[in-house]
Amino acid sequence: MEKIKIFWKKILQTGLWKLGLFFAFIGPGIITSNVDNDAGGITTYSLAGAQYGLSLIWILIPVTVALIIIQEMCARMGVVSGKGLSDLIRERFGARITFYLMIILLLANLGNTLCEFAGIAASMEIFGVSKYISVPAGAFFVWWLVVKGNYKSVEKVFLVACVFYLSYIVSGFMVKPDWSVISKASITPNLTFDTGMLTMAIGIIGTTIAPWMQFYLQSSIVDKGMKVESYKYARMDVIFGSITVNVVAFFIIMLCAVTLFQNGLKIETAKDAALALAPLAGSHASLLFAFGLLNASLFAASILPLSTAYTICEAFGWESSLNTKFVEAPQFYGLYSLMIFLGAGIILLPGVPLISIMFYSQVINGILLPFVLMFMLFLINDKRVMGDFVNSRVMNVISWGTVIILIGLSVAMVVSAFF
Amino acid sequence: MAINREPQVFLFLSKILGRNIVGATGETLGRVYDLTAEFVEPYPIVTGVIFSSAQKKNPVVLPWNDVVDMDQTISVSVTSIHDLSTLHLREGEVLLKDALLDKQVVDTDGAKIRRVNDLQFLKTRHGLHLVHVDVGFRGLIRRIGLISVFDAILQGLFDYKLPNHLIPWKFTQPLSSPDLLRLNIAQNRLSQIHPADLADILEELDIKQRSAVFQALDVETAAEALEETDPKIQVSLINDLNSEKASDIIEEMSLSEAADLIGDLPKAKAEGILKEMEKDIADDVKELMAHPEQEAGGMMTTSYLSFRPQTTIREALDKFRREAADVDLVYYVYVTDEEERLLGVISLRDLILADADQKLGDIMDERVVSVKLDDKGDTIAEQFAKYAVTAIPVVDENEIMHGTIIFKNLLEVVAPQLGK
Repeated sequence: MEKIKIFWKKILQTGLWKLGLFFAFIGPGIITSNVDNDAGGITTYSLAGAQYGLSLIWILIPVTVALIIIQEMCARMGVVSGKGLSDLIRERFGARITFYLMIILLLANLGNTLCEFAGIAASMEIFGVSKYISVPAGAFFVWWLVVKGNYKSVEKVFLVACVFYLSYIVSGFMVKPDWSVISKASITPNLTFDTGMLTMAIGIIGTTIAPWMQFYLQSSIVDKGMKVESYKYARMDVIFGSITVNVVAFFIIMLCAVTLFQNGLKIETAKDAALALAPLAGSHASLLFAFGLLNASLFAASILPLSTAYTICEAFGWESSLNTKFVEAPQFYGLYSLMIFLGAGIILLPGVPLISIMFYSQVINGILLPFVLMFMLFLINDKRVMGDFVNSRVMNVISWGTVIILIGLSVAMVVSAFF
Repeated sequence: MAINREPQVFLFLSKILGRNIVGATGETLGRVYDLTAEFVEPYPIVTGVIFSSAQKKNPVVLPWNDVVDMDQTISVSVTSIHDLSTLHLREGEVLLKDALLDKQVVDTDGAKIRRVNDLQFLKTRHGLHLVHVDVGFRGLIRRIGLISVFDAILQGLFDYKLPNHLIPWKFTQPLSSPDLLRLNIAQNRLSQIHPADLADILEELDIKQRSAVFQALDVETAAEALEETDPKIQVSLINDLNSEKASDIIEEMSLSEAADLIGDLPKAKAEGILKEMEKDIADDVKELMAHPEQEAGGMMTTSYLSFRPQTTIREALDKFRREAADVDLVYYVYVTDEEERLLGVISLRDLILADADQKLGDIMDERVVSVKLDDKGDTIAEQFAKYAVTAIPVVDENEIMHGTIIFKNLLEVVAPQLGK
């Protein structure tokens, strides 16, 4: 007994308790990053692995760095200004720009939500459930969770849901890959200028760094009510989250590369990937993959409509709170319900061209991202918003560099979509 | 013959911004960038036009007196912008677009936070007055420039016209900077809002505005609003204040609320505040803090009136008039012996209706219901329900009275568990 006490004291002295403090502030960064690995993300990663093997896996390292740089700025803006991103954009850039930005954001997020419900349908079909059951049930679950639950408990559910992403890592180990080849591939940049591969690279970046994330992350940080003194914990949270998201992505690409690519199997969707895995990696890996897809889709489907409704209401000064009645916040509940209704409803239409819907939602995201990133850079260098926390010169060079590359890639993707 | 035009009476800020400014010689000097206004009662008056021009790097100010006419352009009596000075705000002067447009304000009449879509001025012979703040959808669409399209569609299809949603200036409290909050402190618009609504507004604001608004409130309003606020937010608001200001506010709160709040604060802060507080209040608070929040001792207040049985009604009422303003519970007075043992209770009604020369001991109700210091919420709730009282005294095992629980304070402990 005495020994345990001494041991405990030693732990306290070493400052390990700070770890506890970290966990108290943890949340927004990790949740945002994990929502990022949504149905669209998993599809893109599976396709990248299946079509190009390990040759694109290196791209995850620069993507992680870019993600950290961008999310750190969001977190900093949230903590220092105490305001959400759409709030800041409205106050700084006026009503007109904000209005059009919000319209595009609504469209982009609606497309994303659609992908999530498609993901729910696809993963449940692997378990033998028809989409006419799984999609309405999923939509009801999402609506119920947010409207009837309280947000604090919802957040906890989501944090637990993050753990389920481990299923991809477990599947990754189950196929017993050759680690030396993989580690070599992940640090060897390799990009041929073939259109398909280039599009795939842009796709990976686009699905990892999405416009809605910046809005969602910043509002969650504001909601936490963090003070500037605890900013370093927010930063840790963001960095930790950004790394996790890419570790999961890494395992998905790797899993598909060592199984599907090596056996020359062609797939078109994440569902194909899960089904094709069964004979190659065993039915457990296949089911784990499908379960991961379901979890990711449900998780993102719960957050996207909510985040969109919050963001838009914040920009226009409409009442937005889950604690109000419908008549008190009609715009908020209206937008929220519309997103779920359309997202789930369109999937159920017979003969809906899913692949092209997903593709165009990526294109709208690509159009939106440059504007959001540029607004962020203007705001973070605004002394009136950020005070002493504006970007340093070095940070500005790095972030502008990152943003210019991302803008270039987005423009390339949008242009290639139309020609 | 010249057409005699009706003078434009109401004007929107969005229609003024960006207009060309034409000098006395007919030369265009620049475009309107912002307006300055002096915050005077009842309506702020526009004092100058800020505009940028190609010839000067920094924006310049044109005094409003030099404006001759406002039409499609703004005609001014100045010939060259070199005569004009750069921007220097006087005390009480505000940049309207910068401080208000697209920013959040509190609608003190509706007790809601709104976003400003536009500002409406009234043009009189004496100048341009800010009279309304536009927070409606129509204002938003007008800003975007689609109002004619919207009107045509809604008129054509539904025979409906989007209404304006304007808030009179006197019900508007700007929030965008601490200076603006201070400017209006004389009129104290926020203190017109019901404390419970004010607490909701505080909870809805972001962390910086919240503490700025809170610090702009007078001590009494701040205390009332604080009582209604979520405990976590209470702590963060008090943490932002120095111990002296914090103790001033906490002294105004009811004792049991004050004890709960101080109990939630970090230790050093709590001690600092208790040191600054008046000694007798601090002692009472410390006594209450000794009890767990979920038990009778933690819910009770020690701020009540008690008398000896031989006191006359007249003496009791005299003391009541002197002291009741600072007492939490006034609907009952308690009768105790020299050792503070609870003997009986008298309701305020019985006290007022009784003959002034009677003794309290003669009119008191001896069947007094009480709870013990360590009784839990549900036991206490049962007593309230059974005996239909609004306060229940708290005694220890020796029947010595320690405090009294006001129904409202029980509700705060019990309410979160209701309906679950």
